[in-house]
Amino acid sequence: MADFAAKNSPDLAAEPGGWVQEFGQQGLLRSLNDFVEQDGKAIGYPDDWQAYSVERNKLGDQYYGVQIHLTCATLVYNVDMLKAAGFNAPPTTWEEFRKVAKATTGGARFGFAPNPSIGYYWSWFLQNGVSYYDAKTNKVNLDSPEAIEAIQFLSDLIHKEKAATKPVVGADYEGPQKLFTANRVAMIITGPWDVKPIRSGNPKLNWAVAPSLKHKAQATFAGGVSLMIPKNAKHPTEAWDLLKRLVALDTELAATKEAGMTMPRKSWAENPEVQADPVIGSFGKCLPYAQDTNAALRLTGKHARIDKLLQSALEEIVFNQMPAAEVMPKFAAEANAILASK
Amino acid sequence: MAVAGIGNGMAALLRADRLSQRTRRALVAYLLLSPAIVYFTVFFFYPIGLEFLASLHTGQPLIGESRFAGFDNYMTAFQDARVRQSVIVTLAFAIGVTAASIAIGLGLAVLLNRPIPGHAAIRAIIFFPYIISFVIVALMWQAILDPYTGILNSILAELGLPTQSWLSETSTALPTLIAITVWKDVGYAMLIYLAALQSIPSDFYDAASIDGASPAQQFRHVTWPLLTPTTLFIAVVSTISQLQELAPAYLITKGGPADATRLFSLHVFEAAFFELNIGYASALSFLMFLLILAITFVQFRLLNREVSY
Repeated sequence: MADFAAKNSPDLAAEPGGWVQEFGQQGLLRSLNDFVEQDGKAIGYPDDWQAYSVERNKLGDQYYGVQIHLTCATLVYNVDMLKAAGFNAPPTTWEEFRKVAKATTGGARFGFAPNPSIGYYWSWFLQNGVSYYDAKTNKVNLDSPEAIEAIQFLSDLIHKEKAATKPVVGADYEGPQKLFTANRVAMIITGPWDVKPIRSGNPKLNWAVAPSLKHKAQATFAGGVSLMIPKNAKHPTEAWDLLKRLVALDTELAATKEAGMTMPRKSWAENPEVQADPVIGSFGKCLPYAQDTNAALRLTGKHARIDKLLQSALEEIVFNQMPAAEVMPKFAAEANAILASK
Repeated sequence: MAVAGIGNGMAALLRADRLSQRTRRALVAYLLLSPAIVYFTVFFFYPIGLEFLASLHTGQPLIGESRFAGFDNYMTAFQDARVRQSVIVTLAFAIGVTAASIAIGLGLAVLLNRPIPGHAAIRAIIFFPYIISFVIVALMWQAILDPYTGILNSILAELGLPTQSWLSETSTALPTLIAITVWKDVGYAMLIYLAALQSIPSDFYDAASIDGASPAQQFRHVTWPLLTPTTLFIAVVSTISQLQELAPAYLITKGGPADATRLFSLHVFEAAFFELNIGYASALSFLMFLLILAITFVQFRLLNREVSY
């Protein structure tokens, strides 16, 4: 961002997720349409990419970025803890999840450790069919009965059922992973980024990755990094050439081997080596139903402010035990006022 | 041409010679002060002016497109409930840290001003956290305070006492941040008070003893009044510093839970770098500048009494 502000942008930039459209709207990026027209078929873009990973990098009919890394979170569970509680398979629905969480809680161990970062709450919203924002009405959808039910489900699991840890407020999101690695939690929701810490932290831990839970829908949230070429790039052709090499299937497969990363290409997810990997393959299977939660809201340019309000509202429910039915409409009213303002 | 130039120079010198001694002294003073004036102008006054200018724009003044909006950003700030909440949190944080640093720092200084065994080592140990980066402090205290794996709750549990979610309860999160910041900064207050205590002439205490004053009376009527300038200094410096503090909230709690530790600087930081609302963030910064100026003025009026010995 500092480089863009100083008008000294690089030829090729990687963004942390969600910046492409915002930068594109401000006229800071070069449209990639001519490159895509020229090389798209040869490199498989956009057809070989998960559809939402293409949409989050477009503005209208203009391509401004290409997803290089695509990830998502899903249920990760301690096989031995579940077996000891009488479950030979991971839960697939919210009700099963609640039962397993309660059955595996006891002593200093908990059934589930939720993550306090805002993105993680979205698993519950998405599985209950909730979307963040409706562009037609210019309003957020989080005061719906489904949204209220989703966050109340999590709050009740913590405070009423006592089957989940109270999230630990903090600047990092490693708390649940650390408890899971220490064999003190039966289930967490996380992504491939926690594979290495779990394996190195407790090599003897018997754990596995499950498909995402289903309530009204089977869903989870997506994340990842895209590459973009700034408008003022001095060598855009060379930047595109490098971009093509970085998103090539061979490169993606090598990066998966090296760093355990999941990728946006459909052919990556279908690759036999990927599918044979019990951990990465399982995460890969969640990518087709993963969703970019705030793609539509980002286009308003107000999502960062609304996200902060949402984080605060969710913490009122999950930390302070305020009823979701009271907090979420209040949040929606504040968010809608921001959206309605100039 | 060269001859004419030399002639002009001589004339200037002669004119200078006719300048009064007072004016010449003033010129020399300004000449000597000029590096500092240039430094403060370039690095303080100019950015403050620039920030005020940015605060009168919406959008991204300084880094991108913007539009003149008069005092709209200020009006928005006054109507923003989250700004009011963060001001209250910040004032509570600054007052808590400053008051506790003064009280504990003075207490430690009085204790360690005596020739007790190992006093130099104890002073060094207490001062040590002050020189550590807050990143390290944050990581360390997060580990200690973790409700499930932290050592503090383990100790409480061993003692049969109830464990606490120190940072996850809205009622305890801010006091915990205050305690961490005091732990880090109290060594500085202690050191300043130690220096002040050692500069108080012993004659006062001898006279007070002869008059039959107890140690408590000596502290109340001799030590405390003579430490007023030191207390003023610590109060002003600490208040200014804590009102601008970002690190504890940013590194330990991210302003949570439910905005209970949302310090003003964190609000400004997020407005600027998450929302990219540079104009609004500039207005908030300028309001904080005015608030600090006002508080410092009040502190000076309340505490700045003449002390001589």
